[in-house]
Amino acid sequence: MKHATTAGPIQRAEESVQNWKQNGGRVVGYTCSFLPVEVLSAANVLPARLRGTGVSQADIGDTYFGPYICSYPKCILQRAGSGQFSYLDGVIIIPGCDSMRRLDECWRKAGEDFQGIVPDFFFHFGVPHKAADHSMAWFSSEIERLIRSLEEHFGVSIGEDDLRKAITLYNKGREMIARLNNFRKASVNTLSGEEAFALSVAGTLMPRDEYNQYLGEYMDEVSSRKPGLYNGKTRFMLVGSVSDDLQLISMAESLGGVVAAETLCFGQRHEGDLIGENEEPVSAMVRHYLDESLCPRMLGGYQARLKSLKEKIEEMEIDGVIFQNIRFCDLHGSENAIFERDLEAMGIPCVRIEREYGALADTGRLRMRLEAFMERMT
Amino acid sequence: MRPEIKEYNIDWMIWSIIKTAGRTTRGSDKEFYAMLEYVPYFRGILDPIVREGEAGKQFLELVGEYMGNIVNAHDDGKKLAMTTFCFSPAILYAMDIMPVTLEAISTLGALMWRRGTYDYLDYCCEVGFTETSCSSQRGSLGAYLAGLGENIDMIVCDSAGVCDTNANAFAFTSAYLDKPFYQLNYPPELVTDRTTSYHREDYYGLIAFLEEQSGNKIDEDRLRDVLTELQKQDEILTDIEEMQSLVPNPMPILYNLFIYAGRFFFAGMDNYTRMLETMRDTVSANAAEKKSGLRSGKENLRSLFCYIDHFAVNLSLWDWLDEHGITQVGNILSKYYNADAPYLEGSREAGYTINTENLVSMIDTMAQMNARMPMVLSIRGPYDAPYMWFENSLMLAKVFSADCVVYNGTPGCRNTWGMIKPFARDMEKEGLPTYIMYGDAFDERVESWDATAERLEEFFRVRGLL
Amino acid sequence: MITAGCDIGSLTSKGVIMENGRIKAAAVISSTSNPQSSAEKVMNLAVEKAGMAMDDIDVCVGTGYGRDRIPFVQDTASEIVCHGTGARWLVPGAMTVIDIGGQDCKVIRLDAGGQVEKFITNDKCASGTGRFLEVMARVLGVSLDELGTFSAGTMSPITFASTCTVWAQADVIRHLNDGHPLEDIGAGINSAMANRVSMLVSGSKPRPEICMTGGVSKNRGVVQTLEKLLGSRIHLPRRADPQLAGAIGAALLAQKNGRGGAN
Repeated sequence: MKHATTAGPIQRAEESVQNWKQNGGRVVGYTCSFLPVEVLSAANVLPARLRGTGVSQADIGDTYFGPYICSYPKCILQRAGSGQFSYLDGVIIIPGCDSMRRLDECWRKAGEDFQGIVPDFFFHFGVPHKAADHSMAWFSSEIERLIRSLEEHFGVSIGEDDLRKAITLYNKGREMIARLNNFRKASVNTLSGEEAFALSVAGTLMPRDEYNQYLGEYMDEVSSRKPGLYNGKTRFMLVGSVSDDLQLISMAESLGGVVAAETLCFGQRHEGDLIGENEEPVSAMVRHYLDESLCPRMLGGYQARLKSLKEKIEEMEIDGVIFQNIRFCDLHGSENAIFERDLEAMGIPCVRIEREYGALADTGRLRMRLEAFMERMT
Repeated sequence: MRPEIKEYNIDWMIWSIIKTAGRTTRGSDKEFYAMLEYVPYFRGILDPIVREGEAGKQFLELVGEYMGNIVNAHDDGKKLAMTTFCFSPAILYAMDIMPVTLEAISTLGALMWRRGTYDYLDYCCEVGFTETSCSSQRGSLGAYLAGLGENIDMIVCDSAGVCDTNANAFAFTSAYLDKPFYQLNYPPELVTDRTTSYHREDYYGLIAFLEEQSGNKIDEDRLRDVLTELQKQDEILTDIEEMQSLVPNPMPILYNLFIYAGRFFFAGMDNYTRMLETMRDTVSANAAEKKSGLRSGKENLRSLFCYIDHFAVNLSLWDWLDEHGITQVGNILSKYYNADAPYLEGSREAGYTINTENLVSMIDTMAQMNARMPMVLSIRGPYDAPYMWFENSLMLAKVFSADCVVYNGTPGCRNTWGMIKPFARDMEKEGLPTYIMYGDAFDERVESWDATAERLEEFFRVRGLL
Repeated sequence: MITAGCDIGSLTSKGVIMENGRIKAAAVISSTSNPQSSAEKVMNLAVEKAGMAMDDIDVCVGTGYGRDRIPFVQDTASEIVCHGTGARWLVPGAMTVIDIGGQDCKVIRLDAGGQVEKFITNDKCASGTGRFLEVMARVLGVSLDELGTFSAGTMSPITFASTCTVWAQADVIRHLNDGHPLEDIGAGINSAMANRVSMLVSGSKPRPEICMTGGVSKNRGVVQTLEKLLGSRIHLPRRADPQLAGAIGAALLAQKNGRGGAN
């Protein structure tokens, strides 16, 4: 069941980005949820997370990347090489993982062959793989470096007040997403996974004040729905590799399930808790983005992530967990196996799926897996 | 995993083989060659190693000692730390902790057994580790995950920020076996102040972890002994490397393996120093006669392996290179970047200096040295950034007069497969024919050695290099 | 009650007619491009073999990827459930089912009651599926049946790259050109296949008794190597053709649920 809107949230968000640009605004694309987007917002630059969906060819991606690489950066490169990101005023590459890290040089090298695809502002934003004190200090200095670079390049000034305002603005959206998630709880059950995820993805694109307003309107409509809309459906949680398209979620929901929660980094994980507003803004951002991350690239954090999964499963009354990883995603792929082991040992049904990023090519097999999984729970 | 593989522990098995192999050199040549008939598979590596004379014998002893340390550690009251090849074990020896270096054990298995380490490689996947992960860890990790190895007390690695699949193997093991874990983490830069600072702070964290897990406090005298020995080793290596840049290269091709394997096993320990001394003597003797280190005595070509060698089945790669008169001027594993290294002229800041004055200076030395280990130095940040892989490889190719560059790795190597094509193109622009190998250095099932050799030959012929 | 199961796959379609838990007739055909016509064709064949008419069938359940497009079935059921049910009938003590078909390789774990407890599959690549053997058999110029016999005749099986069908092919051709006996090469191919499959099976934490269904179960070389790798006996169906597992399961579900519906 879909909420009838004039345009889906994601489409609406993509349009907002174009409007922003047309109205003379600047847009900087970024690759990973570890970027403190508030910094860009404070510079009055729109942070737009780069997506790779809608790609039908792989020739450019495959030319620069070798064969044993995740399809996510390849799809992004394909779009970049085809000129689809040429409207960007800048790109920030975050070494979230090795495959994504290499997007930096592959994009620049592709720029030697395809004119105009590398914006002048092309920034490599390093992120530690842990949250020790010195890692937080380093991350803090990296944020400062980004701020200075943005100031210099875009001719803006980013002061403490600007950062605070941006944090408050983004926090408002986080609060609203948290409230929207309440509608996914078993006791209310009026918001589908597809809708919720579409809204999350939209949040990585839309100018934040517009997004907050949009969420507000959306929430008004959702609050008016009769509780129990999705009762009787098997409640799933979706965990694993990056995904910004709805196909897997809508498949699970079309088979009689509802995706009541997900920990995807284009989803709720991207928003997480609020950034502290009563402290120095850069340290608050460091703590939020580094210390509270649920990403498996934060090595050694398995137990904390397991605890978080268990809490979510309980809170959202999850019947079964769908673990998915993109082929070649070793970080998620391996950790998913341990999660499965530990959750199944607690009696929570799990299924593990490997897929490619992009258009779901093997829908038949995925359906079969999901159906078999659902049958286990009925 | 096949039932028969579950009968013995991997470390014990390898130790038994190498220990026995070490004893074969005590007989006469006649006895040795007669005995080789009885080891049809193992002779493929035993023979070439023993043919290197004294250095070969010392190498066998070194490996035997390394494996023996693992097997006997607990009986000796010492702890075992599972770690990676690019983590310098000097600190572990200084703290009386024995290293269990996954890639080293995988390599030994891949070299020695006809069956390779397939059972262990696959076992990792059976318990959920991704099949696309690097085979270098998986080749021995499977045994430890299956309980077919010594019990591990702690896990340390230093590949976070350098190589995800490597670091992930250790993080996975920590979660799977529920063992304490510490990662040294590397920023995408090398010589900036904040990075030097980070290396230092991170290393202090490592020491605190090791102290807690082992129950041993770091001992200034022990550390000084180890670093003093390391300084000697660096000096000998510098001598050898200077001679390596001569034309013809007087260094026997297999010495490359001895150099890096020895360093991964015993950096800072005197057995490695002795082997280095033996090797330096041979190389010097060859250099004095302007003689090539190749068995044929004729150097047709000089190759730089910009990444790693090929270990899947015997010493096939080195045999092949040797037969074709192609000398190897090193690979990413065989260079260590002491600031005095001959190839760091003009960029000494990229190297480390050993300062044994006090505990603080020594810990700093270890931190900066570890930050220059193979891969750790050059595989961080974009490949074309200063000091990183491209600049680094090009420098080595020039200093050692390489005629061509060869890339060999594994399908699990996300960070090189992510940019090897642009890298090769850039190398070619510098006038260096560059070949990308598609096999798996540790798993012959991906591409058989025959197929690998055929394609290698094709490259050299088509490019008019041979 | 006479029931029928109709399993429409992408490569082959199977039809089975059962009465009182016994098979009256069965048919296997190559699938056409249209599931509906495949279903009609295979059921007509089965019905003819049974010497009856379609109307004599009380309940027919459809399964397989084309199941939603079969107009004459009363109900549909997922292929995994059907397969598990059918395998249990084919090998009464089966707790773990390895099904290697033309295009994928599945492992199904059943609980004591025959319900599917866990299901994993290799659906990403050809090696480890029947396709691998097909490709290799073609390179060797032998039939699939013949390929299966080679492991018994070899004195020195060759070890092949088993990770990728494409590269394994190159190796096979090289060995053929070098004049190695077909048995040695064939045995190597069967082993490579078994190795690949064993990884998937072991990862599913198999429980005895283990059985195998699907076309590849007819290759003795693969089966015996797999037994060695798993350290466990693999039961092969003796009651009927192993390819019929899905259709048998569907027919059994039809009996169990009557017209009430299997889903």
